[in-house]
Amino acid sequence: MNTEVLTKEGIQVDLLDFLCRQFYVDIEDIALDRSLVDTGIIDSMGLIEIASYIKKRYAYTVTNEEMNRDNFGSVIKIVDFISRIKEG
Amino acid sequence: MFKNNDDIKRCKRCILSENFPRIKFDSNGVCNFCNNELLHITEDEDIDKSRDEVINLLNKNKGQAEYDAIVCYSGGKDSTYTLKLAVEKYKLKVLSFTLDNGFISPVAFSNIEKVVSELGIDQITYRPSYKFMKGLFRISSLDNIYNPKTLTRISANCNSCISIVNNMALKMAMEKNIPFILAGFTLGQIPSSTIFYQNNYEFLAESRKPILDKFKAELGSDVSKHLEISQELIKKSKGYPYNINLLCLEDITEDEIVEQILPLGWVKPKDVDGCSTNCRINSFNNYVHIKKFGYSPYELELSHLIRKNLLTRDEALKKLFDQPQEQIDFVKAELRIDDSMLEKY
Repeated sequence: MNTEVLTKEGIQVDLLDFLCRQFYVDIEDIALDRSLVDTGIIDSMGLIEIASYIKKRYAYTVTNEEMNRDNFGSVIKIVDFISRIKEG
Repeated sequence: MFKNNDDIKRCKRCILSENFPRIKFDSNGVCNFCNNELLHITEDEDIDKSRDEVINLLNKNKGQAEYDAIVCYSGGKDSTYTLKLAVEKYKLKVLSFTLDNGFISPVAFSNIEKVVSELGIDQITYRPSYKFMKGLFRISSLDNIYNPKTLTRISANCNSCISIVNNMALKMAMEKNIPFILAGFTLGQIPSSTIFYQNNYEFLAESRKPILDKFKAELGSDVSKHLEISQELIKKSKGYPYNINLLCLEDITEDEIVEQILPLGWVKPKDVDGCSTNCRINSFNNYVHIKKFGYSPYELELSHLIRKNLLTRDEALKKLFDQPQEQIDFVKAELRIDDSMLEKY
């Protein structure tokens, strides 16, 4: 597991960098508290790509049960989710 | 209005054009994608890791159901090679599945018949009514149904068509407890992070709901039949299958793929454009995409192949510009669409 990024702020910076590079959007396009799907940044395949990013970056395989709006409903929620799995 | 493809500014190394999202050119005319400023993933490393994981997954799960895998088979060169890989290299018991979208080249259908016979595998063709498919393509072309940020690699019509393929393949896999769905996507068409993944219909369906609602408003209940899975089947199913894109694990050129599939009786259709080997609606889809966004949905894929030395820049440009006008006009007439109806995003 990569232990370089430890704070929520660091997790968020890293996630936003991934989103901008992977989906060709500017950071200003991303509303932190809104669904990335609802705001048109990603489609359903984008969710798979984010799960794959979490697996690669944090060595954690997201389960089917964890793929829900509570965990993936916004950048803030994804950051909280990553933070929880890192603590766990 | 966007410029024509012929006089558009393009990267000197790949073929990405000035209208592609987030593109910038350096003083030598080379784009920031080629200069590795935007691509996030070290693909070689990802591919090696994915290959090991895919082999482990296949070995762990094969031989447990009537079929090991459904192969989404369009009759095109890439899915033909995927089918061959599945049967001959990975020794899987496969069910070949084709969506007849109403615009498949007759030569592609003949290829399907020859290849499945030669490989000795079962084949299912699923054909929604032509009226439904035309309605789906008309709405996808005219109504800006998808967010433009999600259409950098794919046209709206291809997205709609592939959604049916994915949904019907998933439905069959869940009904028959088949552990794998294989498709013929290449890197460039999809990011390396999706070489393989486990389906999760419920969450993904939630994200697709606004799009399906728009389709339902115009096309009615047939949308559910072709693009949704019932709660009853979800409850009954033993779990979600994995989607795997085997072709992404191969380091092979287009010519080498064709060389491999010719002995199966495969023939290149002549009534398709330079970017397709099976579908006669593709050039129209590209035409609409360029009208709306100013770049072809194939630019990213072809540029990826150039950077991997699997295609030259000239070959890529030849493919990009090989868009037969008669194919575009034929589809326009079938869908009752003229240029004045195609709004820019």
